[in-house]
Amino acid sequence: MTQLVLGQILNGAIIGAMYGIIALGITLTFGITGIVNFALGEFMMIGAYATYALAERGLPYPVAVVPACLIAAAAGYLSNKAFFRFTRNNLVNGLLVSIGLISIFESAAMLLWTATPVEMHFVLPGALRVGDIGLPKMKLVVFAVIVAVIVATYLGLARTWLGRAAFAYAQNPEAAMLMGVHTPRLETAVMLYSTGLAGLGGALYASLYSLEPAMGGVYVIKGMEAAILGGIGSLMGSLWGGVILGVIEGVGSIFLPTAFRDAYGLAVLVAILLFRPAGLFGDE
Amino acid sequence: MFLEVRGLTKRFSGLVAVADVSFTVAHGEIIGIIGPNGSGKTTLLSMMAGLLAPTSGSVLWKGREIHRLRPDIIAGLGVVKTFQSPQVFAELSVFENVRVASHLRLKRELGLRRGLEVLGAARDVEHRLAERVGEVLALCNLGGATQQLAGNLSYGEEKMLGIAMALMCEPELLLLDEPASGLGRDEVRNLEAVLDKVHAAGTTLCVVDHKIGFLRGLADRVIALNYGQKIAEGPPEDVLNVPAVIEAYLGAGHARA
Amino acid sequence: MTGQALLWGTLYALPIFVRSDFLLTIFIFTFIYGILAVTFDLIFGFTGQLTMFHPAVFGVSAYMTHLLAVHSGLPFWAATLPSAAAAVVLAVVVGSICFKFRLKTFYFAVVTLAFAEMIRLGVMNWNSVTNGTLGLVVAGKPTIYWPGSGVVPIKGPIAWYYLTLVCLSVTALLCGLVLRSWMGRCFAAIRLNEDLARTLGVNVYRYKLLSFAIGNALASFAGGLYGYYTGYIDPGYLGINQSMEVLAMVLLGGQGTLTGPIVGSLVLTGLPHAIDLRAELRAVLYGAILIFTILVMPRGIVGTLNAWRSRRVS
Repeated sequence: MTQLVLGQILNGAIIGAMYGIIALGITLTFGITGIVNFALGEFMMIGAYATYALAERGLPYPVAVVPACLIAAAAGYLSNKAFFRFTRNNLVNGLLVSIGLISIFESAAMLLWTATPVEMHFVLPGALRVGDIGLPKMKLVVFAVIVAVIVATYLGLARTWLGRAAFAYAQNPEAAMLMGVHTPRLETAVMLYSTGLAGLGGALYASLYSLEPAMGGVYVIKGMEAAILGGIGSLMGSLWGGVILGVIEGVGSIFLPTAFRDAYGLAVLVAILLFRPAGLFGDE
Repeated sequence: MFLEVRGLTKRFSGLVAVADVSFTVAHGEIIGIIGPNGSGKTTLLSMMAGLLAPTSGSVLWKGREIHRLRPDIIAGLGVVKTFQSPQVFAELSVFENVRVASHLRLKRELGLRRGLEVLGAARDVEHRLAERVGEVLALCNLGGATQQLAGNLSYGEEKMLGIAMALMCEPELLLLDEPASGLGRDEVRNLEAVLDKVHAAGTTLCVVDHKIGFLRGLADRVIALNYGQKIAEGPPEDVLNVPAVIEAYLGAGHARA
Repeated sequence: MTGQALLWGTLYALPIFVRSDFLLTIFIFTFIYGILAVTFDLIFGFTGQLTMFHPAVFGVSAYMTHLLAVHSGLPFWAATLPSAAAAVVLAVVVGSICFKFRLKTFYFAVVTLAFAEMIRLGVMNWNSVTNGTLGLVVAGKPTIYWPGSGVVPIKGPIAWYYLTLVCLSVTALLCGLVLRSWMGRCFAAIRLNEDLARTLGVNVYRYKLLSFAIGNALASFAGGLYGYYTGYIDPGYLGINQSMEVLAMVLLGGQGTLTGPIVGSLVLTGLPHAIDLRAELRAVLYGAILIFTILVMPRGIVGTLNAWRSRRVS
């Protein structure tokens, strides 16, 4: 039983961290640039498929991850340059552009790889045994990487000028603007970071699970839920919101029918929103 | 007793914006509320209109407690408030803005039957209301701008539109939050003329402002606030000579002189 | 006014000039989606609430209409009424929760989405009634009373074309009546400045709920029609994709207008199918159209036309 619960918690935390990465990307982008990047899930998909494609060509997995992230970030940069920057502060236009991009990216993936799910060969087989419990090694590695990412993000936000600017802007846009924060460079940096991070998430995802072109869509929805759960104004909150959501779904499906997996997170989300509209970590 | 404010207090996690304020407003009066910035005037008015819930104390309108009611219900009971920074429906024309405010009158005239109006069954009432909208706009000197988009109006015009909308609700008590702030001298004179006409027609006024000159000529009675507390009450000339009031506005040095 | 006349005139006269069954079929789908788009715009474009709940009432109504007809022998039209009633009940329950807690745009969208998803999962797993992911086959046909021939089933593209067009016209008419009345004024006020509306005596909660209920009730008819036309119903009808498509139609055509959503439906449903492409390339075209619209016509097709026309007049 403990094996099952622990396994599900680990699983949930990993998936949840993916949600969190998307959530962070959306919150960060919207908070700083006023742009709604609802298509962020697609960059995760790009990162995932790029990793898969490179690994199939013979590149060892850890090496393949780097160019995959860069490709995702480049796609993000181009999307911003061509389309997103025209939708600043316009929720509706941002949604439209996002829907359009989702359509385009998804179809491109379908053309290249068809809708049949693909899987990478086991990157790191075997499990680590701790007492009675066996945890897959690859999952632990992914989990460790994610923790490192979260820590790095936190430090980046707290220590670097760019990060502090981002943090300040998300907390209090007026004050930050007075500090002269809103520049094109910041916007580009945010776009590159959020899409690159999403790409990294995808690359990690590819090592564990099967990929299909529509995966981006699901993750964006969950990312949105996570962002709201964590609190729209809070950057770290979005990450935690994602992890919490993932764990709730994972643990929920042990005790209740798996078919309703998605519903548990939703139910908790609705309940939290109703009684604490600012989210778990947000401030209002 | 028309309106009674009893021991009204508002606390914002540590900061006391309004502290135990009490006063009454009689039918047909013009009451002025003065005080320097941050003295709690707007907060007080918001509580009276139901936009803010008091921490303690009560507001009674014609003997009935209203401080816990929704703003739209309070408006329906006859107490309507305007906003300090003008609030309008920017994408609608001036005429349409005031027409929205005719909702209360429509409700009063038709009651539940207004559902039928959707099918065009109450043309005559709608027609009368449209005429009334024109009258109110003319009263507020906005007759020439009826088709303009509210978002394109000047600051002073927007403020007048806010008052026009409030008037369309046929208030018995009109709460005005800093109506003269940001207005030029001509616009202030225009405002005084409009408020005179409104008062002559039977509406009781409660005006918050920090332009002392404006209230001096307008109000029958003035209440002075400072740091959320009532520090003086009475006819304008008396209140304006109270040392505490002078001190609040100009600093301790002047009071002694 | 002339724009409207042009649009409806063309649509009603179309089958005279267009003989291709394939093209007529595209229009039929356009009209059914048009119902969804117009009712969505009532809630979103006019009242300012971004609802993601449409797929739920669409799907539930599709199932209910068919199941009622099959199990209690009700004719199609009679079966749509309890389905619409169910849509109202769902809308009131979900809406009262959302509006009571004063959820704004983004949060409202997510919570309505959450409820829609929960309903979808429920439908998908209620195998005994809905047959789960396998879906249901609808063999029945709507019938109408045709003077001279008695009760006649709707068969064939031309009959379906006019049936769906009439339904769309009625929907647009009803929405138009509501929007031109004081109710519509309240909706606009809520959209533009909710707090101000409140101080002017508008019961914001009630009118948001009213708009939500009416929009969802009318949208439910599209569900019944769709199920009967395609002959098949499955839980995918309740998925979020439909929300995205309807939103895109309304934004493309012009939110806050009555004809905009219809135009949007014509372009986004019709265009990709009218051009003969592989499914994936069609999706790329769909995305390209959307992006093109924002960059060139941010107010949507009809919105931009209206603005252009009023600038010409003045």
